Amino acid sequence: MSARLSIAGLVVAPRDSPPVLRGVDLEVPAGARLALVGPSGAGKTTLLRAIAGLEQPSAGTLDLGGVAQAALPVHRRRMAMVFQEPRLLAHLSVADNVALPLRADGIDRRRRRALARERLDEVGLGGFADRSVTGLSGGEQQRVALARALSAEPLLLLLDEPLAGLDPNRREALRRLIVKTQTQRELTTIVVTHDRSEAAEVGESIALMLEGRIVQQGDPREMFERPGSGAAARFFGVSNLLRLPGEPDGAVWAIRPERVIVGSGPTSALVIEAVYRGTQVRLLMDWQGQRLEALVSPVDAPTAGERVAIELPRTGLWRLPGRSGAAPVPGGLTSTG
Amino acid sequence: MSERRTRLLVGVLAALFIAPLMVLLVQAFADSWRAPGVLPDQLGWRGFEVAFGSARAGDALVNSLLVAFAATAISLVLGWPAARVLGMRRLPRNGFVFLLIGLPLLMPPYLAGFGLTEWFIRLGIDDSLAGIVLAHVTFALPYAILILLSGFNREVEALEEMAATTGAGPARRLAWVTLPALRPTLIAAALLSFLVSWSQYGTSLAVGAGRPTLPIVMLPFIQTDPEVAAALALVFLAPCIVALAFVARLQRTPL
Repeated sequence: MSARLSIAGLVVAPRDSPPVLRGVDLEVPAGARLALVGPSGAGKTTLLRAIAGLEQPSAGTLDLGGVAQAALPVHRRRMAMVFQEPRLLAHLSVADNVALPLRADGIDRRRRRALARERLDEVGLGGFADRSVTGLSGGEQQRVALARALSAEPLLLLLDEPLAGLDPNRREALRRLIVKTQTQRELTTIVVTHDRSEAAEVGESIALMLEGRIVQQGDPREMFERPGSGAAARFFGVSNLLRLPGEPDGAVWAIRPERVIVGSGPTSALVIEAVYRGTQVRLLMDWQGQRLEALVSPVDAPTAGERVAIELPRTGLWRLPGRSGAAPVPGGLTSTG
Repeated sequence: MSERRTRLLVGVLAALFIAPLMVLLVQAFADSWRAPGVLPDQLGWRGFEVAFGSARAGDALVNSLLVAFAATAISLVLGWPAARVLGMRRLPRNGFVFLLIGLPLLMPPYLAGFGLTEWFIRLGIDDSLAGIVLAHVTFALPYAILILLSGFNREVEALEEMAATTGAGPARRLAWVTLPALRPTLIAAALLSFLVSWSQYGTSLAVGAGRPTLPIVMLPFIQTDPEVAAALALVFLAPCIVALAFVARLQRTPL
């Protein structure tokens, strides 16, 4: 069971301060898993809280499964939220924490316990029902919080940085669990993260939030390889925003650093800096007076001061939409350097 | 070595606490005790007989209990929302309001009671237990608020938010989250409110028009008859001892 989420023109402006959400438009189809990504302070958590009803919007509409949510208090919205911190009740057992939504629904104690155990099995905490929540590790606590959210049988699941603060192994395990559970239940889900790789791993689609607005939404590949603006490109690690010779002045072209071919090609660049990063070497180069970044294999990587041949392959280049409008990708870059 | 030192320290502190109480205990039963003697010449119940006889300690005890329980209840009910708003910093001028709430504590109780009496006469609640209760609330309420607001913090707010997202309405959030989280704070606030009311002398004197409460009954005897005063002091001490035992027990059971 799940529902479509539609948000239009949502504004949240705390008293005496500039608006945090400046007109958010967002569509999440029923059963979809969306990663909401953006730098710190972009308004991701505020948007999630506004959806849950924990922030009061001053304008805009919010609609879940065709039902307007604006007039509904938090506890009447059919959503569940996993906060960045687990927010467990220390005076209750693990099972009683998980059963909290069932208790709110008026389900009797026996049935509550049975359902809570099912949810705990689902998140891989089978034997934990009677444990105290205070003795659990951070990852276990976050799983209990997830089980609690699932036991509410929500139409929409909201996860705020659920993987933050976990070590890599636990992080990966919880990520898989979230993806698996969401897929099995076909539960409409929004996962907030500030990490672009995590967004790609956890989201079927990604919405990028910058300064209180959703600026682009699409599948991960599209977001990483065809960001729609300079700011979006920078967020997704496209550090190369270039002017190409023979193209109009206002046109900006983007290429991901890992797509730049180093060692062969029709043009050359001067290596300013070469940083060894374990699996790769990051090259910072000067190409025709412009900054060009590339990621290459540590084997035979050039060093600072070297002049290297480079190629900017046609398939990796795209033009950012600007004032001069969209233009077709040029027929390969063969200019001389 | 350090354990022995700790024990010694605890022993000294306990002695400092118990020594005056021991004197009180002996005094209360000393029908005759002359100056150079370390122990009384004659033990007996005269202190208590006078206290509960002509001194009306029984009435005073009942009055004091009624007033203290009522003042505690009112202070907690009124203090709860105030502490919540202050503790969660929802007011634009939090510090100023905080100061205003503490202000009654700077006023001599007799003067506060004196001023209140004039109003109570016009409102027709002078010379009544209700008047004494209201006068005591003037002093118990600030303490209740100051203690309660330490319990309302971001963490409690976060848990309440969580409960709301699980479908719990306001009443259930209070019962499932806020009250359990604030239990120790609430108990501390209740104890202090009770003891503030319990030990009020000036306000009761000004407002009560001679209605007996324990401090009012006890004070005259301190000058005139130490044995009766000591007997009354023991009665007066009872709730403090109960409170102490309660807190000690509370500390042992994790919350």
